[in-house]
Amino acid sequence: MSQDDHPEQSRGDKLRLAVEHAGHLLPMQGPIGVFVHHNTLHAFQDLPFEQAVIEASHRFGAEPYMTEAAYRAALARGRIHLEDIDAVCDSEPDAVVFPRLSRHSLRRAMMTPGVREFDAATILWRTEQGDLARDFRQPALRALFDACFARIIAHEDEPAAPRSVDEIIHPWLIRLCSVFLDQGMAYWPMLHREKGFYESVRTLLAPRGGIFPRYLTGLDEELERQEYFSFSATDAVLDYLDTQRFCEADWEGVLQTELLALPGWAGLMRRLEEDPSLAPHETVPCSLMDFLAVRLTMARVASREGAAETVPQESPLKNQEKRRLSRAARVYDAARVVSLSADEVTRLSDAEWTAFVSEVKACNGLERRRILHLAYERWHEREILRGLASHRQYRGLCELEARPTAQVFFCIDEREESMRRALEEADAAVETFSSAGYFGVAVDYKGIDDPNSAAFCPVVVKPRHSVFEQPKAEDRELLESRRWRRRLLGLLTRNSFVSSRTLMRGWLSTTVLGLLSAVPLIGHLLAPRRYAKLRDWMNKAFLPEPRTELTLMRNTAQSQGAVTGLLMGFAALEKTERVASVLGPAALTRRFARLVVILGHGSSSLNNPHESAHDCGACGGRRGGPNARLFAAMANRPEVRAHLRERGIDIPPDTWFIGGYHDTCSDDVELYDLDALPATHQADLSRTVESLEKARAHNARERARRFESCPENASPHATLRHVEERSEHLAEPRPEYGHCTNAVCIVGRRSLTRGLFLDRRVFLASYDAAQDPGDQSLAAVMAAVVPVCTGISLEYYFSFVDNDRYGCGTKLPHNVAGLVGVMDGHASDLRTGLPWQMVEIHEPVRLLFVIETTPERLMKVVNASASLKQVVENRWIRVATIDPDSGRIHVRRNSGFEQFDGPVERLPVAFSSAEWYGGKIEHLPMAWIQAEGGGR
Amino acid sequence: MAYSQTMLVFVVLAPGVVFSVLALLWLVGWTPRERVVSRITGAVFSASILALAVIIWRLAATGAPAVTVTFGNWFTVHDYHFPLVLMADHLSLPFLGMTLVLSGLIGQFSATYLHREPGFLRFFLLLHLFAFGSLLAFAAGSFDLLVGGWEMVGITSVLLIAFFQQRTAPVENGLRVFAVYRACDIGLLVGVFAMHDWAGTASFAGGLPSLTGNRASIVCLLLLLAAAGKAAQVPFSGWLPRAMEGPTPSSAIFYGAISIHAGAYLLLRVQPMLVQSGLASAMVIAIGVATAIHGTMSGRASADAKTSLAYASLTQVGVVFVEIGIGWKAIALVHILGHAMVRTLQFLRAPSMLHDYHKMHSAIGGELSPTGKHLEELLSERVQLWLYRWSLDHGHLDTILDRFVIYPLMRLSRLFAKLDSMGLSLSGREAPVPRHSAAGQGNM
Repeated sequence: MSQDDHPEQSRGDKLRLAVEHAGHLLPMQGPIGVFVHHNTLHAFQDLPFEQAVIEASHRFGAEPYMTEAAYRAALARGRIHLEDIDAVCDSEPDAVVFPRLSRHSLRRAMMTPGVREFDAATILWRTEQGDLARDFRQPALRALFDACFARIIAHEDEPAAPRSVDEIIHPWLIRLCSVFLDQGMAYWPMLHREKGFYESVRTLLAPRGGIFPRYLTGLDEELERQEYFSFSATDAVLDYLDTQRFCEADWEGVLQTELLALPGWAGLMRRLEEDPSLAPHETVPCSLMDFLAVRLTMARVASREGAAETVPQESPLKNQEKRRLSRAARVYDAARVVSLSADEVTRLSDAEWTAFVSEVKACNGLERRRILHLAYERWHEREILRGLASHRQYRGLCELEARPTAQVFFCIDEREESMRRALEEADAAVETFSSAGYFGVAVDYKGIDDPNSAAFCPVVVKPRHSVFEQPKAEDRELLESRRWRRRLLGLLTRNSFVSSRTLMRGWLSTTVLGLLSAVPLIGHLLAPRRYAKLRDWMNKAFLPEPRTELTLMRNTAQSQGAVTGLLMGFAALEKTERVASVLGPAALTRRFARLVVILGHGSSSLNNPHESAHDCGACGGRRGGPNARLFAAMANRPEVRAHLRERGIDIPPDTWFIGGYHDTCSDDVELYDLDALPATHQADLSRTVESLEKARAHNARERARRFESCPENASPHATLRHVEERSEHLAEPRPEYGHCTNAVCIVGRRSLTRGLFLDRRVFLASYDAAQDPGDQSLAAVMAAVVPVCTGISLEYYFSFVDNDRYGCGTKLPHNVAGLVGVMDGHASDLRTGLPWQMVEIHEPVRLLFVIETTPERLMKVVNASASLKQVVENRWIRVATIDPDSGRIHVRRNSGFEQFDGPVERLPVAFSSAEWYGGKIEHLPMAWIQAEGGGR
Repeated sequence: MAYSQTMLVFVVLAPGVVFSVLALLWLVGWTPRERVVSRITGAVFSASILALAVIIWRLAATGAPAVTVTFGNWFTVHDYHFPLVLMADHLSLPFLGMTLVLSGLIGQFSATYLHREPGFLRFFLLLHLFAFGSLLAFAAGSFDLLVGGWEMVGITSVLLIAFFQQRTAPVENGLRVFAVYRACDIGLLVGVFAMHDWAGTASFAGGLPSLTGNRASIVCLLLLLAAAGKAAQVPFSGWLPRAMEGPTPSSAIFYGAISIHAGAYLLLRVQPMLVQSGLASAMVIAIGVATAIHGTMSGRASADAKTSLAYASLTQVGVVFVEIGIGWKAIALVHILGHAMVRTLQFLRAPSMLHDYHKMHSAIGGELSPTGKHLEELLSERVQLWLYRWSLDHGHLDTILDRFVIYPLMRLSRLFAKLDSMGLSLSGREAPVPRHSAAGQGNM
């Protein structure tokens, strides 16, 4: 197979193209240590949502929506109203089925009271002893069924039979993938990994002397043959396709099926091929073609050995009879709910009957679920928009008269919504804002304890600046001693880790020191929080903490890192830009408080492979503390303030910025660089710290209402302890609920939502249209907010509606593989998506964006960006606007924006959030929280 | 002495009673709340640990060698009688203590870990049944009774592997473990029959049945078969990684701590007989050495947390077998206890692997000394490749079992089925059609 053979060359190119296309369907998840939320159906994003979920469900064999039973239950408990179903039906074209029956009334009846699902497997039982048998006790229904059965009902396709070579080749293939991609778990790393997957596997398996499973015998000979002809991976794949006689047009389909048999492992190969730097510790040369070459070579041997034979389970004739019965049952049930009689069915003309049957078929389970889902979302949309409209009357109460005691910036994250509300409740004179949690500072950052630097910014941004944390001059020595002590500790841990697993050292260590393990075992399980405190205390005693500063200054115009090519620190103008990029859109340009706190966020938990999924999405799945600290340090520079003044952002000299970090799992709040705070501001600081302390306790309490295991009437202090314990508990599969329940994103001023109980379900992004005549800020906010929030919302949607295929199932049997992901048990596909414990209380709705602007201004911004346009036009998100002046609300529907009106009811009123949520575990409607004393 | 006898009966029966009561209530339709289940579990194991402490204290105070409780015989058939004897001696007590402490801790862990899991109650029922089974096995005064406990440990182990019944892999793997257990348990059953036949008793409450020479060797080898199966020793090791399908805490207590050491307990129990038989001792050592090497090599090539822990366990259990074969009883005992603690903790921490590794990695400064290099330096390229492949396929043990034991057996059974149907058709009756499932033949 020489490379300059022309026709071969072009076939190779065609193959590469086919592989690339087929690969698009694979999950986007990289190594799990840095978890970035993606739209699970990213490959279908060019299709409208409703079409995409159906296509994907065929392709992946997954569910597009919740089950019909789940929607029915929602209908029963009032989570969907009949008017929502009617509205959805009415928004779609009607038709006459036959004179007495319109499509709408048929659909409406099939939805509620609703029809049942029938399948060939259970139909006989149901007609003989089940629900149909009960129906048949009424002679009219019996006659109706017979009448339907007597008329011809057209055929349907049969589902394809499952493939069987998978079970033969997967044990080997999974093991090979896991050792090839391993990031340092195996004591003995795979040999010759540098040659790539295909060649290293070939080198490993081709020599004789191994024993293969029955249906894989001959794999060594086949690989040896390929080695003899010095096949490349492409050659091996082509060879397979040729021997199986697939024509070029079929390639993509064939390869897709092959890849989707193990999407997790194949997807990771593809991700690491695209971006090798995603590998946390060891770069391995990945390629999807290599993966396919190995897989197909195995499949070829397996099918040659005759493994693919399948045994028919039952006589096909009998099945056909059952299928006919179940088809009749479907039509019968529809006829029943629209009260057709047997006579009427018999009297229908052939054309009418055909029309009826095809209408019933068109409104199959999937279609009914689609309509019910739209109704489910519509109910939610009405709730939210009515609440916002109703909140408008309290607007006056939301404006602060005097200078605020402090202004606090949070991430847009919906988990911070309750924290903001709690803080405002704790001190009514505090103002809060939000901005994407990297606070405009896209940076390549390395802390004193980090071995390598990493990008702290959204994944779509490439940082151009690098910043290090370094000890202050007087603490240099302290850092040195910290370094070697940490190293010592690390080496000790590693040694005990490795040695407990080996033969001789393991013998010594388990015999001599083994019983000592009882101490951590008992500590972790019986007193998790106290044990963690003890460990912290010992760590503090043993590891001194130097005071540090950030290398954010760059005085020379161009000082670049020699290796990375990154700019070291930020020049004055660059700093100004970063600060302005956050303050500008948030419209914080005047009336600064004496203290401005910037809080980044992240989450720490034990025994949780998905830990990073709870970190800050806007920081690319990392913890946003450094960004907040950096932002504050920049905003405190006099030269930056001077430049800002030129841009109309006038920060008074008595305003001081403080960076900080909020742990959304333990609800800890830490503030940075307090030693630099001017003495004049100490009183402000203690007042703010006190409010933050109160707020974190309130916040913990509000979060804890969702945890069944937290005692209902626990004191605030006990709840805080409960929450802290969760983050330190070895056995806790849900340290926090993360983004679960997220449903809305509001882009606008805080006055739109201040005092409004939003149940931690709403992303909040600060934006003031009045100060943005050219809509540049809107474009900037949308560009930062939409991709992050959409990714989160859709990942939760899909992981919830089909947790087995789109999500990664329950956490309980998860097994960390190669430090890159989790498997179920000892040999499964790499499970991507979110585990059930993270999504179990989610409500799967598309994110509803409510933007404080006019439809025209919004669409101008949307149309200017291809990616925004795609997401909006294909309805992957729902969009509404609130006019900044009139408060009029418009909702985007298929045909454009429609004004939203309807009765605006008064919001329920509570005197504190705690009063509203106390003792409740379910999703709560909005409420107006009337702060005590009427501070606003 | 009656005092500590009551305590011993309480310790053994308590989890059994909890299991029966909860299971019966469940059967009649009452599902207790999670908190009730975990409170009961905590209370029972705490009380049992106290009771055990009393037993130990009384023994130490009186200097008696063992506490024995005799309930007479369950039934008698001609010469055979099934004695109901519980006994706690210096060998049983550490195992009883280990079982109680670890079951209690695992109960505590699982109450949080399995919160809101639909199979919560099922898990705890199985945990209690398992605790009852192992306590019975460790406190039995005769091999007849030990068999009962042994089987309970086996069946709970299988049911917990197949805990997630909605997926096929756990059920298939559970079934496979079940098959290996059953095959090896033949050794225990036949061994007990042999003891009855040759010594007239299988009770060891008053010293082991006196057997010598070949008879002792045969009994020891039969028991070794059972012990090796339960402890996943070579050549049965292939089931161990498959057992990782269950929830993490059950993997920890079964394959990190108790079930995996039950085989060692059995051998320690017959140790006085074992020393009399050079052949059996040699076999124990040989199996132990083979397992230790197999375990350490397979573990080294495993890149997932639970498989590598499973093989690490296996390695040390292999070493324990060697210690028993040599006759180092005390060392073996200390080794078992220490190993159980280490491994339980490691299994429970397995989901933290990522967290721990990154922390260690950054503490050391990003440069970890590579492991496995000495293998590459010592061996030639060809041997390395062969050895790596051998390790990666876990010594080909499963493949060998499939191809050279199970497949021929199935062929044989199919041949018999054919002969049978031919015979039937000759006699003019219709044969039932055997149903083959494609999945059953898949892995051969």
